[in-house]
Amino acid sequence: MRKDLVFGMAGSGGDGIVSAGDSLLQAAAAEGYHGVMTKSFGSQIRGGESSCRVRISTTPILNPGGNLDVAVALNWEDFLKFGAELPVAGTTVVIYEAATGIKETEIPLVGVTPLQVIAVPIAAMAKETAGTERAKNTVVLGLIAGWFGIGAVAVMKGIRKKLAKKGEELVEANQRAFDAGRAFAMEHPLKASMNVAASETKGQVKLITDGNDMCGAAAIFAGCQFFGGYPITPSTEIMQFFTDHVWKYGGAVLQAEDEIAGIGAAVGASFAGKKAMTATSGPGLSLKSEMMGLATIAELPLVIVDVQRGGPSTGLPTKTEQSDLFAAAFSAHGDVIRPVLAPTSVADTFRITIEAFNIAEHYQTPVIVLSDQEIASRKETLDPIDTSQFKIIDRLRPAAADLVDYKRFKQTENHISPISHPGMLGGTYLASGIEHVESGAPTNSGNVHQRMNDKRTKKFDPLKDRKDLFEVTGNPDAPIAMVAWGSVAGVCREALAMAQAEGLNVKLLVPYLLYPVAENVYNDYFASVQKGLVIEQTHLAQTFKLLRMHLDLPKGVTSLARSGANPFLPGEIVAALHRLLSELQRSHEGNLQPQE
Amino acid sequence: MSATCEFQAKDYKSDLKPIWCPGCGDFSVVQGIYRALAAIGRPPHEIAFVSGIGCSSRIPGYTTAYGFNSVHGRSLPIAQGIKLANPDLLVLAAGGDGDGFSIGGGHIAHLIRRNIDITYIVMDNQIYGLTKGQLSPTSQKGRVTCTSRYGSMENPVNPLLYVLAYGAGFVAQASPTDLAGMAATIEEAIRYPGFAFVNIQSPCVTYGEEAQQIKGLKAISESLKELGHNPEDRLAAMDLAQHYGEKLHLGVFYKNPEPQPTYDALVRERQALLSKDALPKERILDLFIKK
Amino acid sequence: MAPRIDFASLSLMDALDLAVLIEEEAQERYEEFAAQMEQHRTPEAAAFFRLMAINEAKHGRELAARRSQLFGGVPATATRAMIFDVEAPDYDEARAFMSPRRAMKAALASEAKAHAFFVAALPAIQNPEVRALFEELRDEEVYHQELVKTELAKLPPDSGLSDEDFVDEPTAQ
Repeated sequence: MRKDLVFGMAGSGGDGIVSAGDSLLQAAAAEGYHGVMTKSFGSQIRGGESSCRVRISTTPILNPGGNLDVAVALNWEDFLKFGAELPVAGTTVVIYEAATGIKETEIPLVGVTPLQVIAVPIAAMAKETAGTERAKNTVVLGLIAGWFGIGAVAVMKGIRKKLAKKGEELVEANQRAFDAGRAFAMEHPLKASMNVAASETKGQVKLITDGNDMCGAAAIFAGCQFFGGYPITPSTEIMQFFTDHVWKYGGAVLQAEDEIAGIGAAVGASFAGKKAMTATSGPGLSLKSEMMGLATIAELPLVIVDVQRGGPSTGLPTKTEQSDLFAAAFSAHGDVIRPVLAPTSVADTFRITIEAFNIAEHYQTPVIVLSDQEIASRKETLDPIDTSQFKIIDRLRPAAADLVDYKRFKQTENHISPISHPGMLGGTYLASGIEHVESGAPTNSGNVHQRMNDKRTKKFDPLKDRKDLFEVTGNPDAPIAMVAWGSVAGVCREALAMAQAEGLNVKLLVPYLLYPVAENVYNDYFASVQKGLVIEQTHLAQTFKLLRMHLDLPKGVTSLARSGANPFLPGEIVAALHRLLSELQRSHEGNLQPQE
Repeated sequence: MSATCEFQAKDYKSDLKPIWCPGCGDFSVVQGIYRALAAIGRPPHEIAFVSGIGCSSRIPGYTTAYGFNSVHGRSLPIAQGIKLANPDLLVLAAGGDGDGFSIGGGHIAHLIRRNIDITYIVMDNQIYGLTKGQLSPTSQKGRVTCTSRYGSMENPVNPLLYVLAYGAGFVAQASPTDLAGMAATIEEAIRYPGFAFVNIQSPCVTYGEEAQQIKGLKAISESLKELGHNPEDRLAAMDLAQHYGEKLHLGVFYKNPEPQPTYDALVRERQALLSKDALPKERILDLFIKK
Repeated sequence: MAPRIDFASLSLMDALDLAVLIEEEAQERYEEFAAQMEQHRTPEAAAFFRLMAINEAKHGRELAARRSQLFGGVPATATRAMIFDVEAPDYDEARAFMSPRRAMKAALASEAKAHAFFVAALPAIQNPEVRALFEELRDEEVYHQELVKTELAKLPPDSGLSDEDFVDEPTAQ
């Protein structure tokens, strides 16, 4: 019995392959499995190529997986467009639409011989049982239930619920399509069984959501009462979450006239004393950068979520990348530190979003959360989260004594000044983008500017000691190391487990805090390291360069970087680690040679 | 609003000394604002006063309200965030003609259509003063400035028609030629429940043309009241507004006799309606349970 | 400007209150100008405007004393909204780096303006006590003009040069 299966399915938008993925994930969750589902699309709004990848496991999942165990192609043209996003290997069972007319021995996959290839008359079965080819996705679900033992009951239960309002006739048609798929699978058993073992957590409550909805929920949990934003893929669902829910908590959401007005309104709401946020993607981040400078100098708490996509400009709006790191760390004009955080999964998007609000409030600063398209739009099954473990921090409000001759930007020991807001008697002050003295009055003084820059940057020193914003796994003294963040971290976690199973002495650092760069944390981490990789989805190796800007990395630490929409596979990372090991061994041997 | 008579104009004047050039029209505008605020009687700490960048945008600092001297062209986005976050506040926004109608021009239409209860005061002097006398969006065609040495080739924006066309519920004009009238107009604008716009012809003493100084403005000013204009007549208001630049009509062009509900009021209604459906925050993740 | 005062029905108390407000407005404007001049490093003009503010305040106090003698604590009905720039110099009379001569000329112009205000009001006034007061105030303005002219005469002869000929260009911000 298998513990883990990775499905990859592709078709045209009309094939409903993504809804099939949704149904599969929900059915798996209902049966107690852990699951992750990612989606990837072409650039058409309707009818372009679309795909999903669903990974189902009996144990918690670290990433959407590498090579597919099961590939489903409703037509080859669409399937092939996803390239490395849907990698087929010698271990893959390939299921495809027989109506394509392509022989099982002639499928258009170059340089690979799949484990098994099965042509199924999916469209014909749909037409025959449900009266329409549109039911192809239900036939596929039946095939999956039959061959892999997932969702035999739960899939139809879910479909029944989804379609109940539309009438029994439609439900019955789907049931027939599903049964036909299942029957086909039973009649054509796989060469080697690939059934998944029953989940150990069967019957336990599971949550299913994606990174964007999780971010919205976390923000409301953290006390966010205002969202100002503008639609931009792939971040828009965060705003949608707010429009559905924030009113209930006495808050408001504004779909603004543009990206600038969206963050501007959030800056205003924060000035008015409320926790506020905005969300965007790369192009929007560029537009918002002037306002972020304002929030920095006016010392106003604010959370900006950047759901990264391929850039620059419109780039690859439906695909993931990590290339906004420089933009997030350095988008400011002037001498500015602006904390940048990054979640690595849907689950930890909850914690990291709360952290972002806590840091924003405590340090009175804009904080950028660098999510990415994969985390934002992938669905994960989650075990229930105990929300009572999270502390919520609110900005330091002035005490009565502070309000006597109130100084908004008072120099204090930790450089954080009590902050008033309109409506507070005795707290009036001038917030401004112009340099100001402690009272808030404008100034041109170079001395004051130096002091205020000190205040605005030194206040972040304690943040760099937040070891809890870094995760180190593997042997802490290992000579071989990896650094990865965001959605790439999950792949590396799996690679770490695989490498350790193969006897490699290796470790992994996952920073949730990307900026300011916590020099001490990295120096401690690299102390034992002779060879290492900074692994990232950026063409320029931005993370590697950011670290080199702040640290003397060991010479053997190099970069493994490439553009977005070209996912890393755990296997290739393990292979790279093996190469590092052999280099290390060679250099040791070299050291043993007598010196000339 | 809790109107009291406890406050006098001087209670709204801060200790900051204006950096404006002596002779600048903005000195009178800030006096007009002090008087209007005193007439309304809201305590300074319940007022948020937002501006962009420009000479006139220094104005919030000269009041005792909570001030926000923000970035160029963005007073309105910030002001709307403040109002939506706390509708109890009296929110004022102000700036110059460049701030409002050039770099920030895209925002005005949207505040108007949302009808957020904010009073927006533009100190219109047809020039960029802070950067030393460049062409502004309200400069007359043919105007010679340091960025139009041979005369401007552009038509000016007509601020009055602009806001009337987008459907602003309150549109007025004032000038330092009549400070008492200016104060009364600002007061009426603040009292209007919805987005209110006041264009103030506020001369630039350093880069303005002679005809645009107070004496020149007096020569072309006409009181809308004395003209017998009915401020409930939007089309008549638009007709009069066409004379922007040639004549200086002072007073209320348009005041919607049946003000629409404000966005901030609708926000409150929605909050009240939906708050009973709220899951406790600590259980918000229950939204994601799949049964 | 819309007429805000109905001179025909003006009572003596209201007239006195208005006179006090007119002095108050002028005093405040001179103080404002003095502050502007101090802010812009023009101390001679600042000193002159301070002096004018003190004079206006003194005159205002005298009028207020008369008012309280005649009418005690009866609440006033006249307000600042009824007057504008009667004896106060126009806002655009102030100039950066203005010479004492120019400052005095601005004051002179505003005294003349005040004189014209009372002259224009007189024909409409029916209450004889109010008429007497306004005539007194009108003549007072003539006296004030003489005072300023005396000060002007003390200045060295006008060079004919403009203040602006010697100063730096404005600074872009």
